[in-house]
Amino acid sequence: MNDLKRIFNVARRIRNERLSGIRLKVMLPILILFLPGLAWGFSEPDIILPGGHQPSNAMEVLFYASLGVVLGATMCAVLMAFDGVSRDRASGMLEVQLAQPMPRNHQASALILGHTQSILIPVYALLFACLGVVRLRMGEWPSLQETVVYMLSTGLVVLWYTLFALLASTTAREQGTAIAFGVGVWFLFTFLWVLVTSMVAYASGVPVGEANDASWVALEGMLDLLSPNGVYHHLLETQLPSVDRGVAAWQVWIGAVLWTVVPWWALHKRMEALVP
Amino acid sequence: MAEAVLSFIDAQHRHPLPDPKWYKPWDKRLGPGVVGLNLDLYAGSVLGLVGPNGAGKTTLLRMMAGILPLQKGEVKARFHSDTLAEVGDLRQWVGHMPEQVRWQGRMTVRDILIQLAEMRNVDQTRIDGLLGLVGLRGRQDEALNNLSQGMRQRLSIAAALLGSPKVLLLDEPFNGLDPVASQAFTDLVRRLASKGVSVVISSHMVAQLEGLVDRIALLHRGQLLDEGPMEDVERRLDLDGRYALSGTGEVDAEHLFHDLDVELLDLQQDDSHWSLTFRGSPLSVLQAAMANDVSITSWSPTRPNLVEWLCAATGMSVEDISLDVASSALLPMKTAEVGEDE
Repeated sequence: MNDLKRIFNVARRIRNERLSGIRLKVMLPILILFLPGLAWGFSEPDIILPGGHQPSNAMEVLFYASLGVVLGATMCAVLMAFDGVSRDRASGMLEVQLAQPMPRNHQASALILGHTQSILIPVYALLFACLGVVRLRMGEWPSLQETVVYMLSTGLVVLWYTLFALLASTTAREQGTAIAFGVGVWFLFTFLWVLVTSMVAYASGVPVGEANDASWVALEGMLDLLSPNGVYHHLLETQLPSVDRGVAAWQVWIGAVLWTVVPWWALHKRMEALVP
Repeated sequence: MAEAVLSFIDAQHRHPLPDPKWYKPWDKRLGPGVVGLNLDLYAGSVLGLVGPNGAGKTTLLRMMAGILPLQKGEVKARFHSDTLAEVGDLRQWVGHMPEQVRWQGRMTVRDILIQLAEMRNVDQTRIDGLLGLVGLRGRQDEALNNLSQGMRQRLSIAAALLGSPKVLLLDEPFNGLDPVASQAFTDLVRRLASKGVSVVISSHMVAQLEGLVDRIALLHRGQLLDEGPMEDVERRLDLDGRYALSGTGEVDAEHLFHDLDVELLDLQQDDSHWSLTFRGSPLSVLQAAMANDVSITSWSPTRPNLVEWLCAATGMSVEDISLDVASSALLPMKTAEVGEDE
């Protein structure tokens, strides 16, 4: 069996175990509410959003509905992966796994793939449902490119939060610490990032929250590159010609690559040094 | 004795402990572990790794299993050829059964073994045989969450045997096994050894290893105090030739042992029974007992317990040993063979 097949086989078993767990059954209603639920709401033909915005096409609806990904799917990724390592460490199963001759970086890859797949499968199923909802309500499909970017960027943001949660799981000796770290990171980027942006803007003399002020928009756009949620929205905005926050598409994609590679590398380093 | 199949030379692994300073918040220092270990494992031999809690038994087993890297020293093996050669990754050759694995999850017994077989890159056809060997064939479709502790222990044994290991490491394997399973397990270890597998069993119960191990390694505070066949180690530590005698009524041990070249080690007496342990010629003691009309109900050779082994090996008293075990740390210590401070 070659290395890649071995990684995928181990990942498949992790994925199947997670998919059949009670945790996913608990999270599924939340995901349904946040993903197709929001898509249904934002595709209401007469909807007027704060600021007088009105989604005019399918991609705009999906962009607004991505709030559900940020709030729901990323949290589910954290909840799915926070004990990916710490549970096996506490039970002693990690020691058995580390004693197998499968290289540790391969084991790390299998962990990442298995956990990411376990949350991406229901999320992708619901995203396709979102597309159907938008088609039903607005009578149009997003273009193929928009759909690919939408799916890919959602997959990436879920992967990032899975990586954060797994990293916390390798570091924490107790599962409580791992979940506190995972939820803390989620809370920081989901709710507190506005505060961080505001503080930096205030310190820089930029008017805070002025949507029509070019300096605020540019600063917010740049700082969003330092947040996974921000990069996710930047990725989606590449398909919205009406939105320009002063960040080029290549900068966004480099940001996405860095948010993928750095925690992936960090997790592999952690696994190399992991003690049962 | 056959040639060593695995040889550790001046091996060391000490656990890094947090040692934060304001200018280096993540600084670490080396804490307890295993230091300066020289140990050979032989094909077909069963080695008992004995020591109190915190002696470094589990650390040493993890070093042998390739889980913890060697910080110093080297490890050589004779897995590939007839000559000892440095080996990078031990995991392919070593089967490791950690202490008390709480197998959990919705995966079945069979599935977890298939996963481990994939991780080992070994043929899955071995799994059926192994399930039969450890008595889990009837439970192979059971979820891990539903296994009892004894069943989990059996699964750990099966997992350790998956790769047809040349070295089998068993950390406190008797924990959680019922007497029948313990006996079956003992037979299994003997059978594996007869097939040339080198087995290492860690335990803090010397008596449990009696009759099972060929050699014993005495570990304390991360250092190997002595190693070799049990009788040889006992002789070196002056712990051989011990006998336990018990009987009914009363016994005047001082009078009984008067004029005999016998050392009285322990005497317990209540209203109707007595028992004593001595070191010396059993024949002379039995003759003296008969001459003094002492009623004897049992007589047998006996082995020292772990504390006595440690006292003899370190030159420390029982009180010092017990306190020392509680606050185990790496300090220079007196070893049995060298007989001087290292």
